[in-house]
Amino acid sequence: MQALRMLLRTWRGGQLNLIIWSLVLAVAVVTSVSLLAERIERALTAQSSSFLAADLVIRSSKPIDPQWIAGALEQQVESAQVLTFASMVYHQDDMHLASIKAVEASYPLRGLLRRTTTPFTTDPSLIEEIDYGPAQGEVWVDARLLPLLNIELGDEIELGEIRLKATQIVVEEPDSGGSFGAFGARVLMNYGDIEAAGIIIPGSRVTYRYLMAEGASGTDGFANYSDWVEEQLDIHDRLITPDEAQASIADTMDKGRRFLLLAGSIGVVLAGIALALASHHFAAGQTRQVALLKSWGIAASRVRSLYLQQSLWLGVGGSAIGLLVGFAFSEILIAVVREWLPISLPMAGIRPWITGLATGLLCLAGFTLPAIWHLPAQSPLAVLRDDVQVEPVSSVARGLLGIAAVAALLFWYSNNLYLSLAILAGFGLTALATVVLGLLMLRLGKNTGQKLGSIWRLASSNLWRRKSQSIIQMVGFSGAIALLMIMSVVRTSLIDEWRWQLADDAPNHFLLNVAPYELEGVRDLVTDQNLETAGWYSMVRGRLTQINGEGISDEQRDKHESFRRELNLSWTTELPEGNKLTAGKWWDELDLSGDIAPVSLEDELAGELGLKIGDELTFSVGGLVFQARVASTRSLNWDNMTPNFYFLFPEGLLENYPRTNMTSLYIPPQQKLLVNDLLRQYPTVQVIELDKIIDRIRSIVSQVTSGLEVMTLLILSCGVLVMFAAVSLSMSERLQESAILRTLGSSRRLILGIQWVEFSVLGLMAGLLAAIGAEAAVAMLQRFMFDLPFSWHPWLWLVGPVAGGLLVGVLGVGYSRKAVTQPPLQVLNSL
Amino acid sequence: MIEVSNISKQVTTTEGTLTILDGINLSLAAGESLAIVGPSGSGKSTLLGILAGLDLPSSGSVSLNGQDITAMDEEGRAAVRAKTVGFVFQSFHLLPGLTALENVALPLELQGDKEALKTAAYYLQRVGLDHRTTHYPRQLSGGEQQRVAVARAFACRPVILFADEPTGNLDTGTGEKINDLLFDLNKEEGTTLVLVTHEHNLAERCGQRLVIAAGQQVADVTDVTDVTRGSVA
Repeated sequence: MQALRMLLRTWRGGQLNLIIWSLVLAVAVVTSVSLLAERIERALTAQSSSFLAADLVIRSSKPIDPQWIAGALEQQVESAQVLTFASMVYHQDDMHLASIKAVEASYPLRGLLRRTTTPFTTDPSLIEEIDYGPAQGEVWVDARLLPLLNIELGDEIELGEIRLKATQIVVEEPDSGGSFGAFGARVLMNYGDIEAAGIIIPGSRVTYRYLMAEGASGTDGFANYSDWVEEQLDIHDRLITPDEAQASIADTMDKGRRFLLLAGSIGVVLAGIALALASHHFAAGQTRQVALLKSWGIAASRVRSLYLQQSLWLGVGGSAIGLLVGFAFSEILIAVVREWLPISLPMAGIRPWITGLATGLLCLAGFTLPAIWHLPAQSPLAVLRDDVQVEPVSSVARGLLGIAAVAALLFWYSNNLYLSLAILAGFGLTALATVVLGLLMLRLGKNTGQKLGSIWRLASSNLWRRKSQSIIQMVGFSGAIALLMIMSVVRTSLIDEWRWQLADDAPNHFLLNVAPYELEGVRDLVTDQNLETAGWYSMVRGRLTQINGEGISDEQRDKHESFRRELNLSWTTELPEGNKLTAGKWWDELDLSGDIAPVSLEDELAGELGLKIGDELTFSVGGLVFQARVASTRSLNWDNMTPNFYFLFPEGLLENYPRTNMTSLYIPPQQKLLVNDLLRQYPTVQVIELDKIIDRIRSIVSQVTSGLEVMTLLILSCGVLVMFAAVSLSMSERLQESAILRTLGSSRRLILGIQWVEFSVLGLMAGLLAAIGAEAAVAMLQRFMFDLPFSWHPWLWLVGPVAGGLLVGVLGVGYSRKAVTQPPLQVLNSL
Repeated sequence: MIEVSNISKQVTTTEGTLTILDGINLSLAAGESLAIVGPSGSGKSTLLGILAGLDLPSSGSVSLNGQDITAMDEEGRAAVRAKTVGFVFQSFHLLPGLTALENVALPLELQGDKEALKTAAYYLQRVGLDHRTTHYPRQLSGGEQQRVAVARAFACRPVILFADEPTGNLDTGTGEKINDLLFDLNKEEGTTLVLVTHEHNLAERCGQRLVIAAGQQVADVTDVTDVTRGSVA
């Protein structure tokens, strides 16, 4: 208890503030990020399931095996059947080829349906979220079906043999994400009406979906059941997992998570530096107290025990506060990103709390204990003689211990070798550069300062005289600046990359199958609405009929739909933007005058079809046959929402075949009825509506971005804390000198001028050195972690020194103002 | 109470071995007082440190309260200090984060005294600072700070009190008051007092005076003033 009492008194005296804040911040950063990461992770799993409307889905071209349904009942697993197909719907003389979805009563198993009775509304208060589909005899329809069929809610539409009453407008289905195949307006009906409608006959083009989700039998029961079903799948069936379902946002989320991890790791390192500096400062202030204790006959072992106990209390207390602050912060972060998370955000497990507590204790062991380790060896004689001082643990040993603690924390926390290495390398390089170049700079500064005015001469001599302290401060400043710069660069490049998703006018509709004679009319229609397209692309529809001279087998046809249907073939000279060659050669490296034309394939499709470079393919376009050889494969960027093609040919081959045109464009919600006009005037044009998906992605991206901003703020506060810790390191000595200068009659201008020059020069040098470390670390992170191209950041080299000089200068002068605002004796007495 | 036999102290510097103290002998009975006087740099504080067991002589022996502290290890000397010794320093050495009461109570608390705060309050009252118990050192004048230090030294009820220039940082008037306090308490508590001082007034109040110059013991001198004046001149 004596140790605790001493600690509380020291804390009350203000000597522990920096240590406690550093510790609290380290623990808070780690806890909040871990809590957030874990809760989001859990939420995402739930979210992914809602993208599927189930935990697992089987998509099939044949009806669902009744045995599976019976098995689900028996094994207490939730299940639902969903059918999708295109069919004509009528109301009096109007008709429309609608995209029908028939669902069983239990649909959706996960996520919610959103419906309304107000057409085209975006007002959330008018939209209802429910977990069931339409009753028998009812349909819920896409808002744009109402004007297409000239109906209102309450009217009946004809579907096959039956009439169904349109009672609701369906705004969003949980499992609509990524569905690029729905061309007509949605009609959602009850599965029980299918038979009476008489529209499904053997051979109809229907997609069967079998939705499965965990039920009363729990996780194990569900795993057993899904394994059993999976064993029975044949080539007509395909299992869809949540990961695939959320592919459209997976990349954003993944990078968001990595950034969170990066920010958290940087926070840990920053708080570690602050803690190291604060502990160094604290230990210096404790030497006299230890000497006093020892003069009273307190044995060295008791002194060590007292300080270890105090450290333990400090660790536990600081960590406890840190855990609470971290929890509060994670709640703020969650409040910011809540919108796109499921309503019931799952609670985190115990792991984040343990991670936070362990961070506190490890930080203390790595930074504070080495700094105070030598204290018990302090001679009691120091109470009589100032020159008797014990040597602290060598700074190299302390540095190595600190690095070991940080490395352990980083790796444990991020579980990512590249991230840990990049941060350590960035910081290590900065520290090394600071020690080597910093000394050179200080020397150069001293020589130059001698030739300048008195302020500069005194300031540069001071810096050189205190060089070891100046270097420690510079390591702190440059480390903090470098880490903040790393975070800022990565954040900026991520947000840049997402900008298209955040842009209000990103294309949200694709127009396909526009015949050459329709092109002008469609263009005019779009232009009349003051809308712009992403440019028109021509394409030819053709079938793949032979591979290396052999026809497509039935087995191949069953296996992949690209063997069954017409493919979109297009041509280009340049490799389209966002495409990357993954194998083979592009046109400019090929001899295009040969007998067989080259073709470039999208690499995933090539893999699925079993095609490789050099294969000869035979295509049939409207009965005309031509051959091509696979010359390259490409990866595509699906994020940019501009037309992409699986099969690309050089110019001069396809131009004479019958072609159609396509484009993508942004249609704002209030002009959505353009789609109806277009389909009415040009019934053969196909419209792919991505607006709902894009809205959803945009909302997620903007929430993730806000989350990053909040996180950035937290890390910035860590950076400022490091600055404070570094500035306060030399403050008592500086205040003492200033007070003496003041006693000798020096002006306020001279005293503050010296401080300003000293600190801003330190900050400027640190900023310059930080740019070296930041550029190196960013290069590693961009290459290995965020898959972004390497680029130089000239602004780092400018902003680093300028911001460093200003920030450190202002902090330093702010801190030392006391020297000129209070009487010198008062200043000296307070030291 | 204190027996010092032929102690010397040498330190090794870059310029060779330096003798700080040489051939010091003294004997002090319980309840007596001793003033160590001499010019600056004569080795007074080094001698005080050795007598109090804070430092070791290069040769010779020191016995406190019948125990040869020069034959002990640091732990043993610490134990002797804890039981026997109290200190008053020139620069007070109060802990800035602790109130006057807590400063006085701290050594008692470290000895496990359950009544530490009560005892501390009593001694603060004895030095006339019962109205300043919750003040921090920065809120006290120099004289008040030294009075707190005196209260702290006596609160542990030491057998021997060592004082290193106790009034060196104070003006004459305040210094006199502190000296009165020191001698009054010394008398009342029956403590043996060893102090280092420049001031002949203070030295004259002690029963014995040990005069050293350049590390050597000068024969007993009753007129301290002559020696100190002579060395300054």
